[in-house]
Amino acid sequence: MAIFLQVVLDGLLNGMLYALITVGLSLIWGVMDVINFAHGEFLMVAMYVTYWLGFLMNVDPLISWIASAAFVFILSVIVYKLVISPLIGKPPLSALLATFGLSMLIKNICLNRFSPNFKLLSDTYLGGRVIPMGDLILPLPQLVIAIVSLIVITCIYRFMTRSRTGWAIQATAMDRDAAELMGIDTSKIYALVFGIGGACVGIAGGLLPMYMPVHPEAGSLFSLIAFVCVALGGFGSIVGSLLAAILVGLVEALVGFYVAPIFKYVAVFGLYLIVILIRPKGLFGW
Amino acid sequence: MSKRWGRVIASIIVIALLAGFAVSGVACAEEKVIKIGTLFPLTGPVALAGQRCKAAVEAAVEVINNSYPDIPVPLADQEGILDGYKIVLIHADHQGKPDVGKSEAERLFDQEGVFAIIGSYNSAVTKPASMVAERRKRIFMCGASSSAELTKRGTRYFFRIAPTDETESIEFVNFIKWLNETEGTNYKTFGVIYENTEFGKHAAQEAKKAIEEAGFEYVADVAFNPGATNLNSEVQMLKGKNPDVVFGACLGADYILWIKTMKQLSWLPKVSLNYCSGYQDPLIAQQLGGDGDYFMGTTGYSPELAELMPAVAPVEEIYKSKIDPPVPFDSDSIQEAVAMLVLAQAIEKVGSLDTEKIVDALYANEWDSPLSLGGKVAFAPGGQNIKAMSTITQLIGGEYRRVFPEEFANAEPVVPMPSWDQRK
Repeated sequence: MAIFLQVVLDGLLNGMLYALITVGLSLIWGVMDVINFAHGEFLMVAMYVTYWLGFLMNVDPLISWIASAAFVFILSVIVYKLVISPLIGKPPLSALLATFGLSMLIKNICLNRFSPNFKLLSDTYLGGRVIPMGDLILPLPQLVIAIVSLIVITCIYRFMTRSRTGWAIQATAMDRDAAELMGIDTSKIYALVFGIGGACVGIAGGLLPMYMPVHPEAGSLFSLIAFVCVALGGFGSIVGSLLAAILVGLVEALVGFYVAPIFKYVAVFGLYLIVILIRPKGLFGW
Repeated sequence: MSKRWGRVIASIIVIALLAGFAVSGVACAEEKVIKIGTLFPLTGPVALAGQRCKAAVEAAVEVINNSYPDIPVPLADQEGILDGYKIVLIHADHQGKPDVGKSEAERLFDQEGVFAIIGSYNSAVTKPASMVAERRKRIFMCGASSSAELTKRGTRYFFRIAPTDETESIEFVNFIKWLNETEGTNYKTFGVIYENTEFGKHAAQEAKKAIEEAGFEYVADVAFNPGATNLNSEVQMLKGKNPDVVFGACLGADYILWIKTMKQLSWLPKVSLNYCSGYQDPLIAQQLGGDGDYFMGTTGYSPELAELMPAVAPVEEIYKSKIDPPVPFDSDSIQEAVAMLVLAQAIEKVGSLDTEKIVDALYANEWDSPLSLGGKVAFAPGGQNIKAMSTITQLIGGEYRRVFPEEFANAEPVVPMPSWDQRK
């Protein structure tokens, strides 16, 4: 029983990490109808920011994640202005290809500047710390990421549902032309959404170096799983993204332990295929 | 009028191009170069290892092409081979992907016109890439790929320098037997964690065979996807089976994640032995700090073995100038340098670029190899270096201590590994 609970706990903690990465992607996809292929690279950039702040200035990821999030927020707004904005209203494939090109550009810049070598922050404050709870072990870095994830997602949900800007974002997502007629500056709304999406993945990337090595490919599989979570949860649904990410984390952990570790991603992508076949709008989409 | 001018301009361009080709052809003919292709993962998850392998081949080529009379390595005291021919390297990147490796090998042979290829680090890539060479009856020198399967295919043009995972598995099991006999340990149960690739799967197969043949119990078989987002299930599975000894076949960033996850889940086996993997990487050892301590693995070369191989130091200085950061050779990269040096020796001995004669010579002779632990290289049918040797080392405080076999040992092994809470 203890092992089962430990596996479920691992799944929940990983699911919360996936949720934090997914929520930004979901927001961008749902509001702007733009598939951001560079989402994994934003994660990787945030990891590098945290790494370099730790390496050069001895700043712990517990603090530097704020800088990582801010950096990726600004980067996202710049990317929106330079790359995405000219393509709004054009066929969706244009933005998809543009972000794909952007992902290649970011990855290759990092390869060129930082080399393909993986880098690890050795002495982070929480790295390797655990809370023993009887037979269960709670790894502190993952717990902190899960708590931050829950706080960030709750804040975004409340912002989207309780603030005037959130309503404006929802209005823009529903009908851009009508929103503009109501006096909403949709260009600013899009820039804000792209920035918030980037900041979310920036927070995740800022905290990950507590236990994960950083390298130019570090974001690849995370972004793939985030796409699965968005599609499973329903495009644009924040609650859907959270629940789908937790589901993905649990499926991954349970199949990984009770079937075989090698099948954990097979199960995740298999689940995605089944859900998409039965319910193309995702579990919580509308 | 404009048509006539168009023709004149077109003619001038064609003549200029032809003249250019002619001049460059003369230059090539006069230059006396032998093109050798290198095929390594220069980008992707194991790019660090690939970059080092490339630098190692470059260091070997610098020794061959220039006169270094003070370096006690074959061909170092002369400039070039075949009376003045210089080796020119053409580099290719397979990104760790077998399909890319195969097409890059085809490009190197068919478009770049290389004489032979050295590569490819990942066994999964070496397999298809070396078959490209085999079909073209061209030489493929492999330094570090460890899958035993590679030299059991009945190939003629494929040669591998490093020990295989078969010999390493037997060495691991012999080490545990030796521990049980001399240290009074009673290690019986074994597990293997490995990446789901050609390298990992074959390492696991050979491990299982060696473990069962020695009468031990094989209790945990844990494969994982390289580049995984986490290794929690994998470590949970190991923890659940709780084997005394774990063999690891994890490369690069996955090795770091494996160790970090074991620490998070507060579990360690009593002994952990690693195939050519992240364990051998001095940079990883440095980055992991104390967390990487007490793990063991095979080592064909590390700075701590330098006293056994004095010829390495001057070549290593050249190697360091070609890699950033300037780290010493590791077990994998040095094998690639040996591959280049042995191929150059064979070409020099035959006295021509006749591939068939060079292949015959490679099989027929025993080659001096001061950069190898055994000091010699000789190939059995299938291309395996039967003189390949390695030691089992244990990493403590960033230093690889030789613990087995006894004739190479300079330290006692620390077993069982201290648990995480016993470490500072």
